[in-house]
Amino acid sequence: MLQVRNIEKYYGNKNNVTKALDRVSFDVADGEFIAIMGASGSGKTTLLNCISTIDSVSAGAVLLDGDNIAELPSGELARFRRERLGFVFQDFNLLDTLTVEENIGLALSLNHTDPAAVRRRVEEMAGKLEITDILGKFPYQISGGQKQRAACARAMVAGQSLLLADEPTGALDSRASKNLLEILTRMNRAMGATILMVTHDAYSASYAGRVLFLKDGRIFNELFKGERTRPVFYHEILEVLAVLGGDVSDVI
Amino acid sequence: MLSKLSLRNARRQARDYLIYFVSIVMAAALLYSFNGLVFSQELLALSGRMEQMPLMIVLASIVVVCVFGWLVSYATNFMLSRRSRELGIYLLIGLENRQVARLFFRENLAVGGCALGLGLILGNLLFQALRAIVLALFGMSYHFSFVFSLPAAGLTVACFLLIYLRALQRSRKRIRKMKICDLIYYERQNEGVVIQNGRGRRLVFAASIVLGITGTVLIMTSDIISGLIGAGCIIVFLYGFFLSFASGVPAFFERRPARKYRGQNLLVFRTLTAKLATMGVLMATISMIFTATLISGGTGLVFRGIFTGRSAENACFDLFIGVADGRPFHERYQNYIDSHLSVEQSLIYGIYSAETSEVMDYLDANTFFYHFGYDRDPVIGYSDYAALREIAGYPEVELKEGEYLIHCMAYLAETLEDYDKTLIMGDATLAVGGIYTGHLLQHYGTGNGHGYILIVPDEAVGTRPVHHYAFAAKTAQPVGEAQYGDLDEICDELWEKEQTGGYDVIYTRACEEAEVAAMTAMTVFPLWFLALALTMTAATILTIQQLSESERYRNQAALLHKLGMDRREMAKALWMQSAVYYTLPVLPALVIGVSFIRNLAKTPEPGVMIGLSSPGAIVGITLGLFFVVYAVYIVVAYISLKRNVLPDAD
Repeated sequence: MLQVRNIEKYYGNKNNVTKALDRVSFDVADGEFIAIMGASGSGKTTLLNCISTIDSVSAGAVLLDGDNIAELPSGELARFRRERLGFVFQDFNLLDTLTVEENIGLALSLNHTDPAAVRRRVEEMAGKLEITDILGKFPYQISGGQKQRAACARAMVAGQSLLLADEPTGALDSRASKNLLEILTRMNRAMGATILMVTHDAYSASYAGRVLFLKDGRIFNELFKGERTRPVFYHEILEVLAVLGGDVSDVI
Repeated sequence: MLSKLSLRNARRQARDYLIYFVSIVMAAALLYSFNGLVFSQELLALSGRMEQMPLMIVLASIVVVCVFGWLVSYATNFMLSRRSRELGIYLLIGLENRQVARLFFRENLAVGGCALGLGLILGNLLFQALRAIVLALFGMSYHFSFVFSLPAAGLTVACFLLIYLRALQRSRKRIRKMKICDLIYYERQNEGVVIQNGRGRRLVFAASIVLGITGTVLIMTSDIISGLIGAGCIIVFLYGFFLSFASGVPAFFERRPARKYRGQNLLVFRTLTAKLATMGVLMATISMIFTATLISGGTGLVFRGIFTGRSAENACFDLFIGVADGRPFHERYQNYIDSHLSVEQSLIYGIYSAETSEVMDYLDANTFFYHFGYDRDPVIGYSDYAALREIAGYPEVELKEGEYLIHCMAYLAETLEDYDKTLIMGDATLAVGGIYTGHLLQHYGTGNGHGYILIVPDEAVGTRPVHHYAFAAKTAQPVGEAQYGDLDEICDELWEKEQTGGYDVIYTRACEEAEVAAMTAMTVFPLWFLALALTMTAATILTIQQLSESERYRNQAALLHKLGMDRREMAKALWMQSAVYYTLPVLPALVIGVSFIRNLAKTPEPGVMIGLSSPGAIVGITLGLFFVVYAVYIVVAYISLKRNVLPDAD
């Protein structure tokens, strides 16, 4: 589904160039749940931004279902994002003036879905994510975990093919984190969602089927879960992180 | 160190709240320019009637100072809430409350001082514009002469001190009492939701609409008590409407989900209801200010219309004297005119009564027409009419044999076009030969007919009784206020001596024109001064509120950008949000203001409010001028918001 080919990203000017991404290549198969890990400044968010077309690559190509994102005209980028990509952010990014139903319906509204069908589709998705009872509430009236589930519903409701999650558990307590990760796993398995998740947290990454480790803008290692149980996979991730270095807080 | 910090903060404040700063500069300029009129001996000497002008302007200034005082007080409080965290940090690092209060006081005073300085310079230019208008009203030529009026500047400074010291004293007290945590969390305090219950809000909404309609109907009646009750109803309506409106819109869309998700509706209506839920009282106050603005501006134009409309009719001769009760033109008038005026052409003539009142009856039946002083159609001999036309400066007209002419006020011409009845005068039977219009002093019982007059051959009037005599003259020099005063004195003396029932009327072109100029300066200027101050204040507060939301809008736009919303669509949504936000407080004001102005403009007698003074034109001009000023704020706010909020193109 997603092919990342030798992408490079430079920041700065002629005299002071920072290389954020250095010849990064990997593939994501349809229906895969993949996590990207790395210390602060390793290039995780830059990679996610390049894939999500929020930022452009300096070299290389990102192909989604065979379409090279880098070659899309600027006018097409917004349409590409709303039709093909779903986003889940660390700080939820729900609009506080909209109810949960409206926040989810916003994705459909942006896609020019038939207005009469919006409510039905929102209710269907809410049912799957068990948030039907909070549809009429505003974000300030619900918990962090519920907010994140609402964000997941928004990310999937318009039939987006790739869900990009940037530290989705970063603002949640451990119980809400576990709940969300189980939902992401369910979305991946039951609904066939392809998920690319950037995270600091080894526990969160252990829910993925594959983990890519970034260091100084390059892919340092790659771990497949395979048939292992999640706790085993979690310990393997911790071992890689120990070799990778970085802050202690990154691995705990 | 603190002084330096105050100055730096003052600079930042002027930059961050540029629209407020510009409005304060304009406020100072307006105050100075109008104060300039109060102290201008040159303008006051133009006419004896101008002596009331200072009082009228000072009265308007008192209201304007209160309005600007509210603006400064509101903006200062608003800035305090926005910057409370920063002020809290000053306390955290060890400054005392009174030092922080002094800091805030000084920087606001510095901003006010700069605005005052710039305003005085700008006000001088504005005063020149007002001076040119007043001189033009009196038919005088304008020459630029730089005049800095020290008394006007002193009064402006005093007004400003009053405005600023009052506002700052309040915030100073507040800061001195505040604790660090109050300051740090001050911005979280918001206008509370007044009506919590959804059902209650809907009831209030329905009741307020009923009150709004009732109030509008009541203020359109000419009864003072009804007008006052109507004004009260409208005030209750505005607050009820804006406090309950926020609940009505979500309920409306909740029942129509398809409409909610169409186009930009969702973002626009939710932004609006979020604002209204916390700004209901403010929006109602602003709507009330806009209503007052339109009423004030429209009333100014109605007054001007009445003055100019009546005066145009009265000022058609250099001198006119209409003698009451059929008495002959008194020799005392004649003696004074011969000895004091340089008459080029004059005429003493009679207005006669026809045998019937057929034209009067026709007008009664076919148009809104009222008449007094006549029970038969008024008639004048052709030669007298021809001489009157010459004195008034109109071209000659011909009266053919067997015909009569009609000279009427412009508003009756269309109705009389269809009048074709013959007129019997003694043995003669006359047919309508033509209709002429043009001001001819036709709206008084002792003028040239009331609304219309019939012109017949000279021999035909010989048999008819005289209704009254009149005198009209063309003079080489204008008949000024002093000469008018003398003639008026003669009139008074004659009335006292002879104890006749009626009172002669005297009109001179020069006095009428001076009266219009003076009345315009005395009524229109203060009312427009007030209207401008009200518009600026309300628009500034709306704009400060709108721009203060930039950060929230920016975050919203950044998210929508990530979710794939086109920049063009975002700009459209932003424009719609701004448009609805700025339109909402204007809508009730438009309904109430326009109804009031139209009704007021219809009050004077027919034939006065015509042309640019017709009710439609007055409404159009009032709205046009209001929207020109308002649009400046809307466009500035939108451009600024668009620049700050929308993300860069992909």
